[in-house]
Amino acid sequence: MTFSAAKETGGSRAVPVGRKGGGAVADLLRNGTFIVAVLYVILFVVNAALQSKALNINSVTNLVNNAAPLAIASAGQALIVISRGFDLSVAGVVSLTNVLIAAYPIKGPLGALAALAMALSVGGLVGLVNGFLVVKLRMQSIAATLGTMIITQGLALVILDAPKGSVADWLADEMTDRVFGYVPVAGLVVLAVVVLWLIARRTDSVVGLYAVGEDEGAASLSGVPVQAVRMKTFVAAGLLYGLAGFMLSAQTATGNPNAGTPFLMLSFAAVSLGGVSFSGGRGSPVGAIIGAATLMLLQKVLFSGGVSSFYTGIFQGAVLIAAIVFSGLISKLGSRRGMT
Amino acid sequence: MTKTSASRLAVPADTRSSARFRSETLAVAMTFVISIILVIASGFISPALGSWSQVYTILTLASFLVVVAFGQGLVILIGGLDLSIASVIMLGGVMVTAWSGSGYPQILMIAAVLALCAGVGLVNALGTLWLKVPPFIMTMATGIIVASSALGYTSGTPRGVTPELFTWLMKSEVAGIPTILIFVGLFVFCGAMLQGWTSFGRRLQAVGTNISAARVAGLSVSLPVVAAYVISSVCAGFAGMMLVGYANGATLRMGDSYLLPSIAAVVIGGSSILGGRGSYIGTVGGAVLLTTLGTVISALGIEQGWRTVIEGSIIIAALLLLNETFMSLLGGPARR
Repeated sequence: MTFSAAKETGGSRAVPVGRKGGGAVADLLRNGTFIVAVLYVILFVVNAALQSKALNINSVTNLVNNAAPLAIASAGQALIVISRGFDLSVAGVVSLTNVLIAAYPIKGPLGALAALAMALSVGGLVGLVNGFLVVKLRMQSIAATLGTMIITQGLALVILDAPKGSVADWLADEMTDRVFGYVPVAGLVVLAVVVLWLIARRTDSVVGLYAVGEDEGAASLSGVPVQAVRMKTFVAAGLLYGLAGFMLSAQTATGNPNAGTPFLMLSFAAVSLGGVSFSGGRGSPVGAIIGAATLMLLQKVLFSGGVSSFYTGIFQGAVLIAAIVFSGLISKLGSRRGMT
Repeated sequence: MTKTSASRLAVPADTRSSARFRSETLAVAMTFVISIILVIASGFISPALGSWSQVYTILTLASFLVVVAFGQGLVILIGGLDLSIASVIMLGGVMVTAWSGSGYPQILMIAAVLALCAGVGLVNALGTLWLKVPPFIMTMATGIIVASSALGYTSGTPRGVTPELFTWLMKSEVAGIPTILIFVGLFVFCGAMLQGWTSFGRRLQAVGTNISAARVAGLSVSLPVVAAYVISSVCAGFAGMMLVGYANGATLRMGDSYLLPSIAAVVIGGSSILGGRGSYIGTVGGAVLLTTLGTVISALGIEQGWRTVIEGSIIIAALLLLNETFMSLLGGPARR
């Protein structure tokens, strides 16, 4: 399996995923990103109907600020799920970057840049370790990332043994602010991730990623450098978790060694809600981002609907199961129609 | 593989398995030897440690994990993973305290709570079987649903009475031996027999090795899957009740510190995380090793964070030792 061979197949873009015939409507219905976007709009309207203040620029900014960390982390998780893997280390990386940023606050814009660099290098490093364990030692991704999750979670506890510390003012203020009066900075960061994805989408590596997720053996036979693709995927996901930890720190302005724990369940919920298939090779990080936004909006709707915050977990769990069952049904319908 | 031969697979069939058997026995022996060395070594560091009473304490503390990890081990054996047990431990503990003193006979009430827990396991099994939700997503979802329901039910603070049965189980002695150790001894014996020596255990193994092959061979697939998840939930619920007897009350986070160790104990004990292979005695060794390590580390004053780091490293190390690629890199004999 040489790299030049990979270039050739990569260049031919042999893997347009999930297009199996049917009309334009069927195509849209099969597109998880489209479905979740519609769901988001419906929820948004419900929210606006329940609460007149929902369209206020402040509450929109809050909504974006709340959703951004999970959205970015879910984009990373989506990459791993597309490659037919699971990454539990998301929880540990978010916690670790959060306590690092809160325990060692550095003032000013340069300090924020340093914090970002720190967050990205922690995430990238954990991704590299995950990649090494899975690719080189052929461990199962769920087992390897379980280990790295526990270790990073422990390191977070070593740095801060309880919720304390405070994030540098500049970082906490600016990253949750708006530019030009209307555009939330956190929204711009998420947009940057989306743009990066749209650029990367046509590269050999991402085409290879879908091929590996669809069928690793076939991908390998057609010359995709499977190991390199998987490695890059883990590192990219790690970087995104680091960025998510950075954005979470800006939003909470404090350190919490367990800050990342909710991200474990929620990132998988967002991924499946966003139409990324757990059997690999289908969906996109953009869907996962909208899925994450939908989950956070759901919390808000439940709250404005008068449901006690005690019970939000019930809805999250139910949505998670429903999303997977629904996407399973859709893909079944899609393939059946594709065959006739 | 026909139905009769599958149920009579008590003797491993392939030629490589005797080597595997030896290396697995070795791994199990290792976990116990390391535990004993740790206890003895800790005696040199602090005079309060290394005594028989410390051994009793460790075994008592390990009893919760030993019970929980049995169920987790069965679920892992069939190729699943049960992430709901943290919530189910809590469910067992919280409900048994809440319903104690309600006037009904203790046994009935305990049975009702265990049935409730079994219901969670049933939902897990049906979700993975019928709805085809990946096991760890399914159990994560039911876990959060149960946790959230319990939070609402108790409004954040569990109240109630500790049932006497569990106070007796955890705190009394029979003929100078703590009752709980006798109970755990029996539990381990029965568990090991069930998993290793019955056709039921072989069925679980067959499902975990290759679920479609098991189907083709005419084995009922749903029954072992349902049984594994239900047993896992019942074990977790029971461990929650034991914890209530030990700590004299329930909290909403009482199960959290058992989820990851339960998976770790199974993996350290030499079971394959992919399913199809594993022994309960190994899991018990893993549980004892983890608990010993935990008590020794906390007796030495090492903080919680490093403890977690060490735990994670042990999991990775155990996975590496079971890993063929890694072993062949070291130049050792490649295992399958």
